[in-house]
Amino acid sequence: MTPDHLSATFSALADPTRRAILARLALGEAAVGELAEPFDMSLPAISKHLKVLERAGLIARGREAQWRPARLEAAPLKDAANWIEHYRRFWEQSLDRLGDYLRELKAKEKEKKSGPKQ
Amino acid sequence: MAPSNNSGGKLTERTVLVTRVFDAPRSLVFKVWTDPSHLAQWWGPKGFTNPVCEVDLRLGGMLRIVMRAPDGAEHPMTGVFREIAPPERLAFTNIALDAAGMTLLEGLTTVTFAELGPERTRLTVESRAVARVDFASRMLEGMETGWTQSIDRLGEYIAKLRAVR
Repeated sequence: MTPDHLSATFSALADPTRRAILARLALGEAAVGELAEPFDMSLPAISKHLKVLERAGLIARGREAQWRPARLEAAPLKDAANWIEHYRRFWEQSLDRLGDYLRELKAKEKEKKSGPKQ
Repeated sequence: MAPSNNSGGKLTERTVLVTRVFDAPRSLVFKVWTDPSHLAQWWGPKGFTNPVCEVDLRLGGMLRIVMRAPDGAEHPMTGVFREIAPPERLAFTNIALDAAGMTLLEGLTTVTFAELGPERTRLTVESRAVARVDFASRMLEGMETGWTQSIDRLGEYIAKLRAVR
């Protein structure tokens, strides 16, 4: 995932209403009307939030129905939360491999030294 | 380090600190870090290879590595040496690029080689990383307030819900 996508993800998540919408969608897809119920907001205002979430790739909306039910797309959320962990894992795994490689070199060196005797 | 660092007083970077002790002499550990024929053998996550690995070990010299993932995807990385003190310290910038050459992440990495014995070396990697777009500061602030944990939980919860269906 590119930083541009992540950037969109984070701006979308910066708003408490949008986070609440995502939490509701975690329970299953819902139409705009249903999503608007818990909030003191107009349908157009909720639609605006849904558009932001849709652009960030956090939700997908059905094309077929008049109400265009929204559903959650989980992948961008996972990526956003894991970014720094990926970087840490990069170093941890590299150094694990470095340790393996040093052991290999040592084994080869031993072989060379004991070689002529055998 | 990164230009984005100067854009304001906000916390925009994150430090990763990893330490390992190896049963090998310090000079050898330093060598496998700085000799490209050795470096290419271990750099990167498990299962990755390094078809390109160039090291110009001078102050201001370039480091250029192209990692190839098990799925064939290539991940280029470049950097510049900022400190070379054999066999004790090494510092370099590391810039991860996407396929189009755009910067994804910029880091300043300092590697310290401590001699614990003739055959024992403690290696410490400290990498300050900053992402070149504004998502970094939002993400890092978010981590402080803990909301990413809820996102993680939300993600896991969604995965569970999907598995049940």
